[in-house]
Amino acid sequence: MVNEYFSLHTYGGTLEYYLFELANFSALAFFAVFLYKLNYINSNSLLAWLAIFFAPLIFNYFLFSPFLFGDQFRYAAEVMYQKSSGSSLDFLSASGVVEPAIQLTAKMLGVIPLPNYMTVTSLAFANMFLLFVIFLWFKRFFRNENEVLLYFLIPSLILYASLSLRDSLITMLSILFIINLIRDRYFFAAVLLYPLFILKIQMFAFLSLYLIARLFFRAHKNYGLFIFFVSGMMIGGFIMEEQILAVLNLYRLAFAAENFVAFDGSISYLAYNVYGGGLAEALKLSSLGDAFFKAILALPIFFIMPLPWNWSNIFYPLQSFESWLLIYLYVRLAMKQNLYKNSEFILLTFILLIGSSIYALLLANEGTFVRYRFSLFYPFLLGAFYLSSSHRFLKK
Amino acid sequence: MSILKKINLKEKFSLSREFFNELVFVKRSLHAFGASLLLSFFIVQISSPSFSVTSTLREADVSSPTSMDMGSAATALFGVSVNADKSGPTDEFRSAMNSYFLAQRMWNKGWGSKIFGSGDMNEEYFNKIPKRHTISDRVGAFISGYDLYDYFSAYDLQGYIQSTIAVRQRIGETNVLLSTQTESKDFAIEFMNAVILETDQYTKERLILKSNEIISATYSQLAVSKNSMIAAALATTINSEYFKIANLENDLPHLLDVIDPPHSSEYPIAPKVSAIFFSSAIIFLFASILFSFIQKNKEDLW
Repeated sequence: MVNEYFSLHTYGGTLEYYLFELANFSALAFFAVFLYKLNYINSNSLLAWLAIFFAPLIFNYFLFSPFLFGDQFRYAAEVMYQKSSGSSLDFLSASGVVEPAIQLTAKMLGVIPLPNYMTVTSLAFANMFLLFVIFLWFKRFFRNENEVLLYFLIPSLILYASLSLRDSLITMLSILFIINLIRDRYFFAAVLLYPLFILKIQMFAFLSLYLIARLFFRAHKNYGLFIFFVSGMMIGGFIMEEQILAVLNLYRLAFAAENFVAFDGSISYLAYNVYGGGLAEALKLSSLGDAFFKAILALPIFFIMPLPWNWSNIFYPLQSFESWLLIYLYVRLAMKQNLYKNSEFILLTFILLIGSSIYALLLANEGTFVRYRFSLFYPFLLGAFYLSSSHRFLKK
Repeated sequence: MSILKKINLKEKFSLSREFFNELVFVKRSLHAFGASLLLSFFIVQISSPSFSVTSTLREADVSSPTSMDMGSAATALFGVSVNADKSGPTDEFRSAMNSYFLAQRMWNKGWGSKIFGSGDMNEEYFNKIPKRHTISDRVGAFISGYDLYDYFSAYDLQGYIQSTIAVRQRIGETNVLLSTQTESKDFAIEFMNAVILETDQYTKERLILKSNEIISATYSQLAVSKNSMIAAALATTINSEYFKIANLENDLPHLLDVIDPPHSSEYPIAPKVSAIFFSSAIIFLFASILFSFIQKNKEDLW
């Protein structure tokens, strides 16, 4: 009966921990050196990626405790259990159902051929490997590799890829989806929606809307079709108003309840159950117009948070600076060669604004929504970057 | 064909061969491999083997639901358990095991001395086991102006139990697994056994106390009750509480039956000797490759 249940041995910060993870780093670094010798990447990329590959060793246990992002242990335990037994640990969500997102993340990251999956940080190296592959794929579309490299040096991208979480996987799948959709590869893009449905249903919803806009409305072709899509969406919205509001109100309340702090120090759902009686009514959206108005008001906060008065750890000022940087990059791309007049770019930005508005409506916990914002914004930023490059070539 | 031309397979193959001949299949790699063996031997030598000590228990008196109630229907429809707040024997066992009162009982039996002190069972000794604090803790306490505890107490034992013994139960199963990872397996087996028995005993005593209180309060109500129906109901309550006491006042386990008593894994779960050798070899081999690579590509890189 000893092995009936699985128990994760984490090697927390010991010599063995660094030995196992240095081996993972060495394998990835070897891959990068090999590709450099084959002239797939230039020397700047090689040096930058060697530094990026080292990041997981810097974050967990060294800069902060892995318990700061405690979910890492669930992913690590799941992948190790799958590898050792072939079955799942069946982690439960707060509502008492098995979380398929953990299983799928473990399956997708667990197939990466790393030397070992021994500690809580091993999956971070799998994330890193996938990010590097995305870089190799993405840079094919550009003449200037260094310019592409700069977009892969965004701090949040490195941070999330350096942790054993699914955020990085969601971002990478979204990048693949957006770029393939822009390149008219509809089938491949549609296939990518399946893992996104399991990993992050919100991203699935936003990107499905993008697929519908392009495939059925051809909204990327010209302004007329774009307006037709927007009109269609508005009519659909009014027909389905009740259902849309029910979902929005449910999530608005759920996020607020999760972030609830009572006067006696109790937090989250426990505190909400006792003291949060009036919250549901206060947060209720009465109509789509009301939702639209509230989203417009919350959108600027969503884009620039965490705001200085909410800074509670070292990452917040960095993330605040980064949020401005991301907005600047997006605006700069829009202005470059009048890309903002391109109907494909307009559609891309419209979908980004729809996604951001919905998140802005649900806005509760700073840390959670900074994470959500990045996994939404970054793929669209790369989409805009790709468009700026293809737009440039088309002009020539 | 065009794809193959685009990739330029011939050139890539020749570059790969050059890479391996120049950087991998060289004498330095052999030296690196030798050094990795030495380091691995050293690490394995200094690592203390860690064993897994486990015990399997089974929930006692588990009644299975006979019909699909509202809670199960909601679970099936919405994926949300309506009756999720109802605690079973496992939850009760877990909360009792992690409680201060259990730690206090264990402390009084000298377990604090075995864990934090020399093992001396003299009460005067184990109530005065000096507690060491790190310099940073002392400096922090001095600057902020608060006192650090001089001696270990039952609260430390409570923390020890909470952090070392995990209680797990898989969905839909009645078996419960207690596990811990330890370098001293004999002590862990003895300690886990004591925790299981003491938790059950503590739960029983608490319930007996509760039943006695209910009986005493119900008797006083019965004395003043004039309504025959209420008197009958009170009498039933008293009977049921006496029955509970009769059930609890025996040596049988109350919450969980022990199926497998605590025992240790035969082989240690850490260190993983093969993984240490393998990882170490990869690190040293890569270090050797990187060294040769930098030597040969210094100009290109900087």
